Amino acid sequence: MITLYRPGDSLWHRLPTGRKAALLAALVLGISLVPVSWAWWGALIPAAVCLGCYAVPGIGVTRLLAQAWAARWIILVTLAGQLLFLGPQPAVVNTARVVAIIAVATLLALTTQVTELLDAIERGLAPLARLGVDPRRAGLLLTVTLTTLPVLARAAGHVREAQRARGARPRLRLFVVPFLVVALKHADELGEALTARGVR
Amino acid sequence: MNTIELKNVSVRLGEVDALREASVALDGRTIAVIGDNGSGKSTLARVVGGLVPARAGEVRVLGLDPVRQAAELRRRVAFVFSNPDAQIIMPTVAEDVAFSLRDRGMSRRERSERVAAALDRFGLTELAARSSHDLSGGQKQLLALCGALVREPELVIADEPTAFLDARNARRITAHLFDGGPHRLLLVTHDLSLARRCECAVLVAGGRVVLAGDPGLVIAAHEKSLDDHPLPPRG
Ligand SMILES: Nc1ncnc2c1ncn2[C@@H]1O[C@H](COP(=O)(O)OP(=O)(O)OP(=O)(O)O)[C@@H](O)[C@H]1O
Ligand SMILES: [Mg+2]
Repeated sequence: MITLYRPGDSLWHRLPTGRKAALLAALVLGISLVPVSWAWWGALIPAAVCLGCYAVPGIGVTRLLAQAWAARWIILVTLAGQLLFLGPQPAVVNTARVVAIIAVATLLALTTQVTELLDAIERGLAPLARLGVDPRRAGLLLTVTLTTLPVLARAAGHVREAQRARGARPRLRLFVVPFLVVALKHADELGEALTARGVR
Repeated sequence: MNTIELKNVSVRLGEVDALREASVALDGRTIAVIGDNGSGKSTLARVVGGLVPARAGEVRVLGLDPVRQAAELRRRVAFVFSNPDAQIIMPTVAEDVAFSLRDRGMSRRERSERVAAALDRFGLTELAARSSHDLSGGQKQLLALCGALVREPELVIADEPTAFLDARNARRITAHLFDGGPHRLLLVTHDLSLARRCECAVLVAGGRVVLAGDPGLVIAAHEKSLDDHPLPPRG
């Protein structure tokens, strides 16, 4: 499944979650603000920031390459689309920017346990409690979303397998209904289980 | 104090009367709930656990009203389902157990000590950092029960907790349920040998409690009804 977190002891792992999130957000913002008029610098600066972030002991540039490899289709599609319409330079600059933003943002998930993210979200949103935002619920919503995706991905696989076992040719219409049934059933059970585990 | 007490409890689920004026009061430490498929066992467990409200009648669990004293009930009563997939919330094993203690106002240190001790008791220490959704069914159910017992509940409600498990894992789960702490147990099961191990038993049929008390007598009555009507009556 897509558990992003990698245990470790790097600089990023040791940074308190709140500060880490703020710093990474600032970097992402910085990358996205590099003006297009800077020509190739628009690609070099994001790439450099990104490399700098990953080139700390305990993470390493190989991790960055692995992430890029995992996102290779997104990268290719972005690049191809822009090449077609905008020409080589803007295409490379824009793609570098997008990839750098994804890679830098991913560092947060790579180096932070979900429990700590949850704590940080609850603390970060605490001031909004007066406006009617429930920090516990907001944090939980994120966690449950993160953990439900792999469960649903697996359920989709089961539905397809069961249909193939019965000799049905893959067709979207045949897939949607059983998948929705499974997904809704999961939502139902999850709701009860959350209640049973003391989440109100 | 009675473990559970139901007085003329009715529950309607959609179009179905899942419980019809069910009444029972038991103070045993371990209570088995048996009966045919669709008889209302799970509904009884869920109404006791405060997961569905009763439409009529009165429910008391450890002396608490599961609807009006829901917060108190949640602190003292844990629930285990047959399907562990929905019960596991956090991405890794240790984090999932720790999740159960989030609202306990403990220091981080105390929390992680409690989690480590619980993982150790369940033989899950080696899996602590593993992705919880990639575990086998048996390991998931152990994790789900570990997450329930780490809260040190007074009552554990378990609805066919061993339904999907092999014999070895089923035994591990039942050992934790029966002897894993001072908690009381309400166990919904089709395994009559497990029901026999309980201090008392409840037989549910057609949404009613038809017999409760000594497990030997209750199981005998259930078996007799199986012998008398091996096939469902024809309409
Ligand atoms: N969510 C629901 N909506 C509508 N009817 C339901 C729902 N859940 C259960 N029922 C119905 O309520 C009745 C009792 O169901 P319940 O799940 O309590 O039975 P059970 O004794 O646990 O059966 P099993 O041994 O198969 O688990 C059944 O007739 C069932 O069809
Ligand atoms: Mg049931």
